[in-house]
Amino acid sequence: MTDGVDGGPVDERDPVDGHERTDGGEPVEAAHEAEGAADPGPASGRPHHPYDHRTTPISRTVTRIVVPIILVTAISLLLQGHNLPGGGFIGAVLTVTAFVLVYVMFGLAYLQEDVLGLSASPEEDHGLVSGYRWLFAAGLALATAGGIAPILLGHPFLTQAVIFLEALPLYGELEVASALVFDLGVYFTVVGSLLTIVGEVGSE
Amino acid sequence: MQPTSEAVLGVVFLPFLAAALTPLIYRILGERTAYVAAGVALACLGLVTSLWLDGAHGVVAYEWIPSLGVSLSFYVDGLALLISFLASGVGVLILTYSRGYMHGEPAQPKYYAALLAFMGSMLGVALAGDLIALFVFWELTSLSSFVLIGHYSDEVASQYAARKSMLITVSGGLFMLVGFLLLVWMSGQALGEPTYSLTAMLAESEAIRAGLRETGLLVPVLLLVGLGAATKSAQVPFHVWLPNAMEAPTPVSAFLHSATMVKAGVYLVGRFRPLFLAENAPVFGEWTLLFAVLGLVTMTVAAVLAVGATDIKELLAYSTASHLGLIVAAFGLANEYGAEAGAFHILNHASFKAALFLVAGIVAHEAGTRKIDALSGLRNHLPITAVIATVASLSMAGVPPFNGFYSKELLFEATYEVAAHSGGLAWLLPIVAVLGSVFTFLYSIKFASLFFGDEPEGLDHVHRPPLVMLVPPAILGALVLAISAVPNLFIGALVGDVYASVLPGDAHSFAVHLPTSLTPYVLMSAITILVGAGLFPFYDRLHAAINAALRGPARANWWYDGAVEGATELGDWATPRVQTGHLRTYATWAMGATSVLALGGYLAAGVALPTFSGVGLSLAIVLVLLVAVISGFAVSRAPSHVAGVLTLSILGFMAAIFYILASAPDLALTQLVVETLVLVIFLLVLDQLPAFYGEIDRLRASRDALLSLVVGATVFVTVLVSTAANPDQALREFLSVRAGLPAEHGPVILDWGGGGNVVNVILVDFRAFDTLGEISVVAMAALAILTMVRMRTRGEMQ
Repeated sequence: MTDGVDGGPVDERDPVDGHERTDGGEPVEAAHEAEGAADPGPASGRPHHPYDHRTTPISRTVTRIVVPIILVTAISLLLQGHNLPGGGFIGAVLTVTAFVLVYVMFGLAYLQEDVLGLSASPEEDHGLVSGYRWLFAAGLALATAGGIAPILLGHPFLTQAVIFLEALPLYGELEVASALVFDLGVYFTVVGSLLTIVGEVGSE
Repeated sequence: MQPTSEAVLGVVFLPFLAAALTPLIYRILGERTAYVAAGVALACLGLVTSLWLDGAHGVVAYEWIPSLGVSLSFYVDGLALLISFLASGVGVLILTYSRGYMHGEPAQPKYYAALLAFMGSMLGVALAGDLIALFVFWELTSLSSFVLIGHYSDEVASQYAARKSMLITVSGGLFMLVGFLLLVWMSGQALGEPTYSLTAMLAESEAIRAGLRETGLLVPVLLLVGLGAATKSAQVPFHVWLPNAMEAPTPVSAFLHSATMVKAGVYLVGRFRPLFLAENAPVFGEWTLLFAVLGLVTMTVAAVLAVGATDIKELLAYSTASHLGLIVAAFGLANEYGAEAGAFHILNHASFKAALFLVAGIVAHEAGTRKIDALSGLRNHLPITAVIATVASLSMAGVPPFNGFYSKELLFEATYEVAAHSGGLAWLLPIVAVLGSVFTFLYSIKFASLFFGDEPEGLDHVHRPPLVMLVPPAILGALVLAISAVPNLFIGALVGDVYASVLPGDAHSFAVHLPTSLTPYVLMSAITILVGAGLFPFYDRLHAAINAALRGPARANWWYDGAVEGATELGDWATPRVQTGHLRTYATWAMGATSVLALGGYLAAGVALPTFSGVGLSLAIVLVLLVAVISGFAVSRAPSHVAGVLTLSILGFMAAIFYILASAPDLALTQLVVETLVLVIFLLVLDQLPAFYGEIDRLRASRDALLSLVVGATVFVTVLVSTAANPDQALREFLSVRAGLPAEHGPVILDWGGGGNVVNVILVDFRAFDTLGEISVVAMAALAILTMVRMRTRGEMQ
C-alpha cells in the first residue's frame, strides 16, 4: 500500500497486468499505443506524433475544418438555450464531441501540447486531465454560487431572475436571465467531467 | 416549576463539548485529564441538583425538524432526574477512579472522550422528551459503549465483545424505532395530528391505547419497544453481550454496564409504563404478560448463570442482568408495589453494584487475577475494600437491614398480591421470584467470601490501592449505608417522584419499614435467606453442575455465534459468486436484482397496466420505430465490432428522429449529441477490444437472453406504468405559462421563467436543485473513474 503513494517509482508490473486482463489478445499493441500517447518525445524539435500512421489525411483535414464549427455550434446552443432548443448540457456534450474528435484523430499529446500549449511532464503524464479536474470543480462552484447569491439577497436558494437591460447600443433592449450563470456551471461541470473520463480512460 | 432551558441544555451538551476538547486537554494535562473530566461530570451533577432543588418538572423544547414535527425537546420529571443523578453522580466517581485505574494504559484520550460522550448521551436518553431525540441518544450510548468495550482494540476478545454488544443493542434500538414510528402514526390517528412528543402521548395515553387496541397494533408495538428495552438491559435471551462487555476496563463496566447504560432499557420500560398500562388495568394484561415474565425469567436465569461464573466480573455481569430483570419484572406488574419496587431498586442497584464493580477493579488491579478460585482472604491486604464489598454484597443479597432488602421485599409483595388476586398459574410469579433471589443470595455471599477465609499462596504481593481508587467505592458504600439507614428520606426526596413518573394516574407517596409482623412476603424473604444459607456449603457443586448443564443449544451464546458464523459463511459463499471482478457478472446481478425488485414491487403494490387502446401513432413514427427495432436485432447479428457499433447507433438516431416527430426538439438534440459522443468514444476504444470472445456457451447464452428479456420487460412495464399516470394538469399549465414572459413586466422579474424553452427553464429555474444534484453526480462519476484508474496504475489496489 505504501509503495508509489508519494509519486515514487511506478511499479512496472501493474499496467502490464492491467492490459493483459482487459485487452485480451493484443497487449503489445495497446501498451505501445499508451506509451506513445504519453511520451513527450525528443526534448528538442517537434514531438513525434504516433497518429501519423493511424489516420488518413482526409479525416484529419475534415476534422480540422469541422471542429471549430462544432465548437461555435456548441456555444450558440449553450447561449440560446433559454429560448430555443439547447442549453448547458447539450452544449457541453457537443463541446466534448469536438475534443474527442481531435483526440481520436491526432492523439492526446497533440491536443495537450500543440493546441493547448501544455507541457507534459514525465511524472504527471496527463497534464490535461488535471486541467479538466479544475474545470468541473469550477463548474460546480459556479452553479452553487449562482444558487447561494439569491440567499444573500433574501430569496430562497437557486431563485433565478430575469433582468431587462434598456437602451444598450447596438442591441437596444436585452433580456438577461440569471439562469445563464447556472447553465454555465452545468456546462463547465459536464465538459470537465466527460473530458476527465475520456482523457483518463483513453490514456490507458 | 418549569425547568430552566440553560440548565437542561448544559446537562446534556456540556459532556459532548468536553469530549470534543478531550484530545486537546490531554495534550496539555496528560493523565490528569481524568480530573477535568470528573469536573465536567461534577458540573452536570450540580446542574441536575439545581433542577431537582427547584422542583423542576416540565418540557424544554427547541425546533429541530419542524416540517416533520420533530423537536429537540427535554422532559424533566422524577424518573429523568433519578437517571440523570446516576449518570452524572456515578460519572464523577468513575472518572476520578479512572485516574488510578487507567494509569499507564494506552489510548487515554479516546477513553475519556468516549466516557464523556457516553455520559452526555445517557443524560440525553434520560431527559429526552421526543421519540426521535430519545432514539438518537439511545443509539449514541450504544456507539460509545462499542468504543469503550473495544478499548483494547488489538485484542481479539475485545473486538468480539464490542461487535457483539453493538450488534445486539443497536439492532434492538432499530426495532424500538419501528415501534416509535408506529406509535407516532397511532398518535396521528388518535389525536388528529401525529406527534413525536413523549409528553403529548403520555397526556393522551387513554386515546392512544384505545387506538392501538382497535387496530391490533398494541402487541406489535409492545414487542418492538420491548425488544429495544430487552436488548439494552440484557434481558434473557439477549443477555449474552453483557458478560463479554466485561472486556472493557473495569471503570467502564461499573459505569456503563451496571449503573447507567443498561438502565436505559429499564428506563424505557418505566417511561412507557403509564402509556401502555391503564390505571385500572387487569392484573394480567399484555404489558404484564410481556414484562413481568421477561423480567422474572431474566432474574432467575441470570442469577443461576452468575453462580456458574468463574470470573468476578462475569459474576457481576450476570448479577447485573439478574437485577435488571428484577426491575423490569417489578415495572411489569400492574400494581403499585411493582412500581414502587422498580423505582426504588433503580437507585439501590446502582449504589451497590457500582461499588462492587469498583471493588472488583481494585481486586483485579492489585491481585492481578479475576478468577474466583484463585481469590480468598483478601481482607488482610485490602481491609477497607473488604468492608465496602461486604456491605454492598449484603445489600445485593437482599439481607435486612440493607437497602437491597427493601426493594426486593416490595417485589415479593407485588408478586404475592398478583398471585393472591388471580390464583392458579399466577403463583409461579412469587415462586420464581424467590427462586431467583435464592441464587442472588448465593452469589452475593460468594463475592463477599472472597475477602474472608484462608489466604491462598501467591497472593502476598497484593498491596493497597491508591486513594483515587478507594474513595469512589467508599462513597458508594457510604451511600448504600445511608439509604439503608434512612430509606424513607431517599424515597421522599427522589424515589417518590420516580414512582409518580411510572404510575398511570395520581400517585401517593410510599414508605418502607423493617418488618415487625409476619406477613407472607416477610416469609418469602426468610425462605430466601434460609435456603440460600443452607445451600451455600454446596456452592462449588452447584457451580459445577450449572457449568456441566451449559453446553450446546442451552447456551444463548451458541445461537448468537451460530447466527454470526452462518451470516459470515453466507457472505463468504456469496461474495465470489457476485463479485468476480468481471464486469458482466456485476451487470448480471445488478440488472437482475433491479428487475426482480421493480417487478416484485409492482406486483406487491398491485399496479394495473393501462388498457391497450390501439396505436395512435402516425405512419412516419411507426416506420422510424420499426427501423429501430430491426437495427436492434441486427446488432446481435453484426459480424464485427465496427458493424455492431454502427448498427447500434442506427437505433439511437432513430430514437432521436422519433423525438423530433413527437415534437420534442430538446430531447432530440440531446439524444443526437449523446449518440454522437458515444459513437466516437466507441470508435476510440474499439481496437482495444478483443476481436474474438471464444465460443459462446449455449447455457450462458440462454441465461443472458433470459436476463435481457426480463430487463426489457421491466423497462417496458415501468414506462407503461409511469406514463399512465398523467401529471397534474395544473402543474403542466403552471409550467408552460410561467416559463415564458408575462405580458407586462418591470425591469426585473423573479417568479416567471422568462424563457421560450420550457424544458430548459424547468432545468435551470423551476427544478434547478435537481439539476444541481445531477451535475454533482456527473462530477462524482468523473472523480470515481479518475481515482480508480489512477489507483490501478499506481498499484494501490494490491
